[in-house]
Amino acid sequence: MLRLISRSFFSFVIAAFMGSLVVFAMTHFLGGDVVTVMLGKEAGPGDVTAMREELGLNLPLYQQYFNWLGGVVTGDLGTSYALGYDIFDQIATRFGPTFMLTFGALLVSLPLSLALGTYSAVNVKNWRGSFVDVSTQVGIAIPSFWAGLLLVLFFSVRLGILPTGRYVPFFEDPVASIRSVILPITALSLGITSILTRYVRTAMIDVMSGDFITAAMAKGRTLRGAALTHGVRNASIPLVTVATLQLGQLVAGAVVIENVFVIPGIGRLLVVSTLRREVVVVQSLALVIMLMILGMNFLMDIAYGFLDPRIRDKQEAQRLA
Amino acid sequence: MPDDSAIQPDASLADLKRVFRAVVRLPFPLFLGAFLVLSFVFIALLSFFWTPYDPAAINVPDRLLPPGSDNYIFGTDRLGRDVVTQLMLGARNSLYVSVLSTTVAVTIGALFGLFVAGTGPRWQGPLSRIADVGLSLPGILVAFVLATKLGPGNTTATLAIIVWFIPVAARVTIGPATQVLALDYVEAAFAYGRSRRFVLMNHVLPNIGPLLIVLASVMFAAAILIEAALSFLGVGVQPPTSSWGRFLNEAQPLLEAAPYLMFFPGIAIVLTVLGFNLLGDGLRTILDPQQARTGIF
Repeated sequence: MLRLISRSFFSFVIAAFMGSLVVFAMTHFLGGDVVTVMLGKEAGPGDVTAMREELGLNLPLYQQYFNWLGGVVTGDLGTSYALGYDIFDQIATRFGPTFMLTFGALLVSLPLSLALGTYSAVNVKNWRGSFVDVSTQVGIAIPSFWAGLLLVLFFSVRLGILPTGRYVPFFEDPVASIRSVILPITALSLGITSILTRYVRTAMIDVMSGDFITAAMAKGRTLRGAALTHGVRNASIPLVTVATLQLGQLVAGAVVIENVFVIPGIGRLLVVSTLRREVVVVQSLALVIMLMILGMNFLMDIAYGFLDPRIRDKQEAQRLA
Repeated sequence: MPDDSAIQPDASLADLKRVFRAVVRLPFPLFLGAFLVLSFVFIALLSFFWTPYDPAAINVPDRLLPPGSDNYIFGTDRLGRDVVTQLMLGARNSLYVSVLSTTVAVTIGALFGLFVAGTGPRWQGPLSRIADVGLSLPGILVAFVLATKLGPGNTTATLAIIVWFIPVAARVTIGPATQVLALDYVEAAFAYGRSRRFVLMNHVLPNIGPLLIVLASVMFAAAILIEAALSFLGVGVQPPTSSWGRFLNEAQPLLEAAPYLMFFPGIAIVLTVLGFNLLGDGLRTILDPQQARTGIF
């Protein structure tokens, strides 16, 4: 197990390093000069020189890269030139809402997709299974922000039972906080639940043809009983794999949803800074979001080890050999 | 000759019947998908020649008319522009972005994937690792980084989708291409003296072709979704170009006053994305029955 953790951590660090290089390269080699973008075309040459000096753009590229990377690690990224806030502090305080959204969506969609997928696999030959199948196809096609708008229209404007946004931090007022994220999390979960349900369905249909299910049924278990006791655990492994692959999409969805519900998270900051052309903020946010995704990947890798002893044992076997 | 003309109609009729029977046996979702996709393409192309109203015409006295009003089936927006016209122009923009991004990304990604598959085991590991890192980058993130430097717009959105799709296309190509390379007739081609490039382009590529077609169909759907999201956030297409996402962005402040405005573009997105996904799924079951159960998306 320890071996698995250290291996996963090693590949996490490598991927994070490569990712930071990609982000840095994208902001430095594409398009025009950062300073012209920031100050506008009519800026005087004096201003431009001063700005270049201040941003450290006269340093060699590798030094700029390491200064930035060091800034991300030590928490010193300078201040926003347009609004004057401390960039690192701002990113750190905006972590909470984004984390709550993505974690909440996972918390909803993982069990829900497991249940729906199993249900539709057990009912594969009748209309109930087909109904789930068709619903998931439609669920994938619905853009999360449109789902958000519809939910606001129905639950906030028409029924008036849930707030339209106005995020409340969890530690300020837990009840109001959860009420404020119900609609965003629902909108965010819709797509990912649909995708995951389809995978669970396929995996369950596969698993159900396995010998151990036949054996369980030979012992006198019903098909449903065998599916629930033996099938689900086996089908949850592909679920973890696919959920890991979908994490990027989940975070991307959170970025969009935060802007629909005006939630002060990382995604909102990302859009605002992009439209203001704040290169350093966007570049750092991109890295932070990537680290978030890779970090969750790392946790999922470990979750594998717990779910499937075979994966853990394979690592152990390699170590002993 | 008279004999021929007597036989010909019957023969072609039998052929037609056989074709018809084969077509009828195709899965229903494929039909539905093809129908939705063709309608979308038709509407998008039609917008070049005909729209109910002049796209640029602003008619403030007729602003915010509800659906079903005289002359405006779906109503008008806050500037009195016809919603149907706006939706047709939005379809055009979606088609433009999705065709351009998918074509470029599948071409580059598949060529890279073929190259990686052909390099042999030593390079394959590290090179596919690069594709994996690319896969962990959400497309929307790339779009924001690009938009900060290049400015928001259609080009930025298209570029971002391309950058996002290339590793996906590469990843989808590498596995099957490696499998094809291990087949006997590929060995035979090498033994015959064919170059690696010849074998990759003339033997491997046609074999993974169906897979790439399915991939392209699913990518169209994803491209339309992300273009809508970017335009909705203001990072995609800029005024005066119309887009479904931008239309929804403009409809959001009017959620209470004119809720109907946000229905139609949303439904348009859902139907189009659904169409491409159904088409992709249907094609997958026909072209590649073994792959049908293990999709990448």
